[in-house]
Amino acid sequence: MQSSSIRKYLTNKIVWMYVLSGGIVLGTTLLGLLESSVAIPIPTILHIVSENAFNIGWLNDIPKNEEMIIWNIRLPRVLLALCVGSSLALAGAAFQGLLRNPLADPYTIGVSSGAALGAVFVLFFQVTIVGLGSFTLPVVAIISGFITLFIVFGLVRLSSRNLAIETIILAGIIVGAFIGSVTSLIISLGDRDSMTQIIYWLYGSVAMRGWEHVQLILPFMLVGAFMLLIHYRELNALALGEEAADHIGVNVKRGKIFILLGASLLTGASVAVSGSIGFVGLVIPHLVRLVTGPNHRHLLPLSMLVGGAFLIAADLVARTIIAPSELPIGVITGLIGAPVFALLLIRERIGRRGYLND
Amino acid sequence: MIRIENLAGGYKNTPIIEDLHLEIENGEFFALLGPNGSGKTTLFKLITGQLPIQEGRIFLSGKEISLLSKLEKAKKVSVLTQEVHASFDYTVEEIISLGRYPYQKGIMKQLSKADREVIEDVMERTKISKYRNTQFRMISGGEKQRVLLAKAMAQEPEILLLDEPTNHLDIKHTFHLLDLLKEQQQKNGLTIFAILHDLNLASLYANRIGLLDKGRLLEVGDVDTLRKEEQLKQVYEVQVKTQAHPAVSNPQILMTPQHAANEKPIDLVKSYKLVKNKNYIHIQFDQPMRTISNGVIGEGIQWLKHFCNFHVDKHYNCSDPKRDLQERMDSYQIPHEQAVGMMTAVNLEDKVIETQEIEGIQMMVIVTAGVGNAVDIASEYTPNSASQIGTINTMVFIDAHFTDGALVNGYMSATEAKVKALQDLDIRDPQSNTIATGTSTDALLLALTQRGSVTQYAGSGTVAGKGIGQLVYQTTHKAVKKYLKRVQNNGIY
Repeated sequence: MQSSSIRKYLTNKIVWMYVLSGGIVLGTTLLGLLESSVAIPIPTILHIVSENAFNIGWLNDIPKNEEMIIWNIRLPRVLLALCVGSSLALAGAAFQGLLRNPLADPYTIGVSSGAALGAVFVLFFQVTIVGLGSFTLPVVAIISGFITLFIVFGLVRLSSRNLAIETIILAGIIVGAFIGSVTSLIISLGDRDSMTQIIYWLYGSVAMRGWEHVQLILPFMLVGAFMLLIHYRELNALALGEEAADHIGVNVKRGKIFILLGASLLTGASVAVSGSIGFVGLVIPHLVRLVTGPNHRHLLPLSMLVGGAFLIAADLVARTIIAPSELPIGVITGLIGAPVFALLLIRERIGRRGYLND
Repeated sequence: MIRIENLAGGYKNTPIIEDLHLEIENGEFFALLGPNGSGKTTLFKLITGQLPIQEGRIFLSGKEISLLSKLEKAKKVSVLTQEVHASFDYTVEEIISLGRYPYQKGIMKQLSKADREVIEDVMERTKISKYRNTQFRMISGGEKQRVLLAKAMAQEPEILLLDEPTNHLDIKHTFHLLDLLKEQQQKNGLTIFAILHDLNLASLYANRIGLLDKGRLLEVGDVDTLRKEEQLKQVYEVQVKTQAHPAVSNPQILMTPQHAANEKPIDLVKSYKLVKNKNYIHIQFDQPMRTISNGVIGEGIQWLKHFCNFHVDKHYNCSDPKRDLQERMDSYQIPHEQAVGMMTAVNLEDKVIETQEIEGIQMMVIVTAGVGNAVDIASEYTPNSASQIGTINTMVFIDAHFTDGALVNGYMSATEAKVKALQDLDIRDPQSNTIATGTSTDALLLALTQRGSVTQYAGSGTVAGKGIGQLVYQTTHKAVKKYLKRVQNNGIY
């Protein structure tokens, strides 16, 4: 039958998409480990990674400093970029599905800035919640991100009945500006040194991070990703609006809460370890959707893979383009993301005008 | 199937639906009618559970609906609303597969083989298989509704709720969608509970209707309930009139706009133009007249402006006289869809036109008469090749306002007057040699200005009826005498 052959073709295409994305992740990871001021050959890199991770080594006499560079500096940095990139891309895809609009992203709807405020608060005042230890940072960031989300949605609800995306973004900007001021206020209370540090942190960066940062994000990322991935059908069902989703038996309220929680976990944890890196969640799901279509069953996992690879690559550019000094990674993603955002906005407006005239 | 008992519910403190009882049978098409704000959509939301039930109960095949889980309910009830916009570029097939949501099991919850079969089946039934890989956003409004119907059917529901599904569709797509729904109801036994705005569509498609007003069901019954004009007038606050559909027995409702009452009616004496020559008589009014006629063109009760009587040869024999008359009218630039057309072999010079005011009613009668084919309607039927000149064509124009009943009444009065004229002139049926009642091909029209107060009767017991009788009698009498004189002068015509 024709349809089954089409389906087979589609399935094959999806399989290839996964293989390709996985390959890109591996490739960028290797590139991230290889490219730096100190040149280390690939076999050595592979040996160090495998030796440390699985205790399987085949080379002798690896210089201690090379092992240090690869295992303690470059690998955590690359892995962190991978985690942050996939978290943000997945959160973006989820927000977009939930709000039924490709303009949504943790950054544009204000969650990132909320999480950043929480993170700055913890970093600046050196707060530690008893029992959480170093996890205070991501937990506070997640909670403040979630609260911000509710404030934004509350503002939208007050100003208009439906959750129009433009209103959400506007509310996101308003709340973001307010939070930005509060953040600035906190920072200006401190001395010059910590001020520079925090401002630089706010731009977003995965530099100077170690394994402890990977450990900070990983549990939240796994839980958040799980929560979102199992809700792919609900995200698809929302394609026709909440009422239509309700009619096919979706528990819309519960689904929404789970999806918002999952996306906030991912965003908050990412911001906690890397500052606010914008537009990853906007650009990546859009690109993936162009190739695979909007079905969230594949959109979500593929966005994770591509998002991770993208951020590793962005980090690579950030640290090589003006070497020996480094750009904040948020600058790179912003430079790429903002034009894409503008393009999407125009396309979306044209699209809507199109069907109004229909 | 679905039983609603003593239902009350709506928004918070003000229940919109109150004390509602309703039972919908298995496999029927039930239409819920009522003005905006009467609570139609609220009732649906109470069934789907979007609004809380405050009092009473709803049963779905014997099970109380509030006890069903969301998924269980989605397997029994599906909803098709007005057009919905889809986000992103989902394909038609992906949209339809959403309908299988309540059936998916397991952790990964993928579409099973059975799911795929159902999807194929509903796509086949709604005739949208060819769009399966097209983006939902790209197809037309009518096709979108078909896709959404397929999605609703993929839920394999026991009952399908329709909330004005044809609201924004054009006539073609409206009828196609409703035909499709009716087919599913009749062939596959789907139960349909529909909110429809259009009373006429409801009449054409529903088995039963319910009239909802201010949250209460005024009446439930078959579509003939729509014949109760007073009730509809009260509920919708619009002048309505129930009419017969020309092809099906279901009633059709006509609405009268406010401004129609204020329109200036026509003046019978001043507002017509008369053209008469040897080929035709053509009377044209400025505005349409309410007309009843049995003309070759313009039969039945209509609103018409042009009234024509064409001269034809006495051996005229045309297989399609209607077409022939239309062509003749076209050649004289008379719009045939706004005209009554009669034909006669009588010399049009012998026409008689009488104008008179009887009891304050202006009337004009035009008759062309030939009685070569005079027939006594009561005598035995004998097939007759009518080659004689034998037609009495009568046009009656009256400055009055008749109901449809009065039109028929007036038609009788005019006929009776004609019979009386023939009787007085002793015109006989050549076959039976009894007094003739008319000819075999008589035509008659009554055209009314619809001015002044409404006249309900125009029989012989009324002023209007008497007026018609007197004037038609005089005119016919004169016209037949003219004909007889011409026959005498020329020998056999």
